[in-house]
Amino acid sequence: MTDFIIETSQLCKSFKQKQALRGLDLRVPAGSIFGFLGRNGAGKTTTIKTLMGLLQADSGYANVFGSPVTDADHSVEIRRRIGFVTEDKELYPYMTVEQIIRFTRSFFPKWRDDLEKRYLDIFELPLKRKIPDLSKGMRSKLMLLLAISRGADLLILDEPTDGLDPAAIEDVLRELVTLAATSGTTMFFSSHQLAEVDLIADYIGIIDQGKMIVSGSLDDIKARYQRLRVVLDDPKALEVRWEDGVESIRQEGRVLSLLASRNVDGIVEQAQSIPGAVVERYPVTLKEIFLEHVRSN
Amino acid sequence: MLWYKGWLETRFKLLFLIGFTIFLLCFQYSVRNAATPAGGRNPALGFILISTPSLVLMVCAILGGAGIATQPSFQASKGLHGSILFTLSLPASRLQLLMVRAGIGWLEFVGIVGALCCGSWFVSPAFRAMTTPMETLEYAVTLIACGSAFFGLSVLLATFLDDQWRAWGTMMASVALWWLSAHTPLPASTNIFHAMREGSPVLAHTMPWTAMAFSLVLAAMLFFAALKIVRIREY
Repeated sequence: MTDFIIETSQLCKSFKQKQALRGLDLRVPAGSIFGFLGRNGAGKTTTIKTLMGLLQADSGYANVFGSPVTDADHSVEIRRRIGFVTEDKELYPYMTVEQIIRFTRSFFPKWRDDLEKRYLDIFELPLKRKIPDLSKGMRSKLMLLLAISRGADLLILDEPTDGLDPAAIEDVLRELVTLAATSGTTMFFSSHQLAEVDLIADYIGIIDQGKMIVSGSLDDIKARYQRLRVVLDDPKALEVRWEDGVESIRQEGRVLSLLASRNVDGIVEQAQSIPGAVVERYPVTLKEIFLEHVRSN
Repeated sequence: MLWYKGWLETRFKLLFLIGFTIFLLCFQYSVRNAATPAGGRNPALGFILISTPSLVLMVCAILGGAGIATQPSFQASKGLHGSILFTLSLPASRLQLLMVRAGIGWLEFVGIVGALCCGSWFVSPAFRAMTTPMETLEYAVTLIACGSAFFGLSVLLATFLDDQWRAWGTMMASVALWWLSAHTPLPASTNIFHAMREGSPVLAHTMPWTAMAFSLVLAAMLFFAALKIVRIREY
């Protein structure tokens, strides 16, 4: 049986007229790197804030480490086991890098001095500099250092590479993978950068309009989805009622492009039954899966 | 370390208030030799009795903020954002945040009031002539006790207003209460404003125990209301 570090069911949250979460079901397996994808305003940050106990859901439940995040008694204990990077990377403007590290360290008994030192070196953070004098990239790095050094069992990272240059992104992703591999830390991170998620995530969830539309192991999802290219003899004569599993269909002249999410063999068979049709199968990228889903949703 | 954070957040406000206290003391010093009009009150003493309670209200309005809404760059109307998210991700309850912040603000308030009262005794011969050092201490205690109600009000407002509106709200509510106390037939013994001026140990030579107790009970009620609100939001 898989242990889930994060589990939500039918989670709903509204802000005045806007419904940010509409019955979100989310399960993050222990020890996984979970990429949480969605368009702007899809509900990613609201989900993260709810998991961190920063917002209270209107209905449904959210458990982290098996305890409800709405329980005040558990909430502090849950946060002691979480490293968090906020979306806007805002820290106290009146502190220096050294002061905020000292301040944060005092809350976490499992603080990792070795990781602190390692990331201070890798990220080249100036200890004596005030936080407002840091660039956005530097602030992102500092937040990552503060999150990772907590010795947390779970890292919740909201756009962790935002503001970083490509070389720094590469460094950060490599470090995150190393950390997950060496310490078994579960990582739940939201990102717009599909290439990043494709590179490091082993599980993904795609949220759109407050609902989870795709979720599961990235390998399984990629194996399940296929693009079918059907070249037709006579496109005008095409009258097919496609089998279940076709997520989208696009036609350009004689070429029909289908994205199948399941029952691929059945769909291929059906396509081959069209007189004169030539069918080709292609693997799909995470980007294709994401775009097809959010567009059709 | 929350105390340390609270200190860093309030130190410039404190510095401003120390500057203002020094300004008031300089002013007291400059009017120290003013002649007393026949049948009237010495202008230097009159100035102290007006400026000191006013400073008490100002200090409460400025330092009384507590809880998450006092974080820099926070605006309650915008929802949770900014460094507040970082604070709330720490394993510290909202209740703890409020209590630490209120504790720091109150200690600073006590320090300012104490410094102003002691300073007045040194720089103003008129004040010295009217009071003993013991009475000056009693005056400071009276101001702290009576000011606590306004401090409590400020703490309560901080649970749902952001910093600039909280300070403004505290000042406006204090002015309204001042006006009401002058136009309501309340017994003088329970009038907090009266206790800080005519009823204070400086002029009455006795402690206004009833007003002090009334203010402290009010402060406790406001503070507990703030705690209750924060407890409700704790999840």
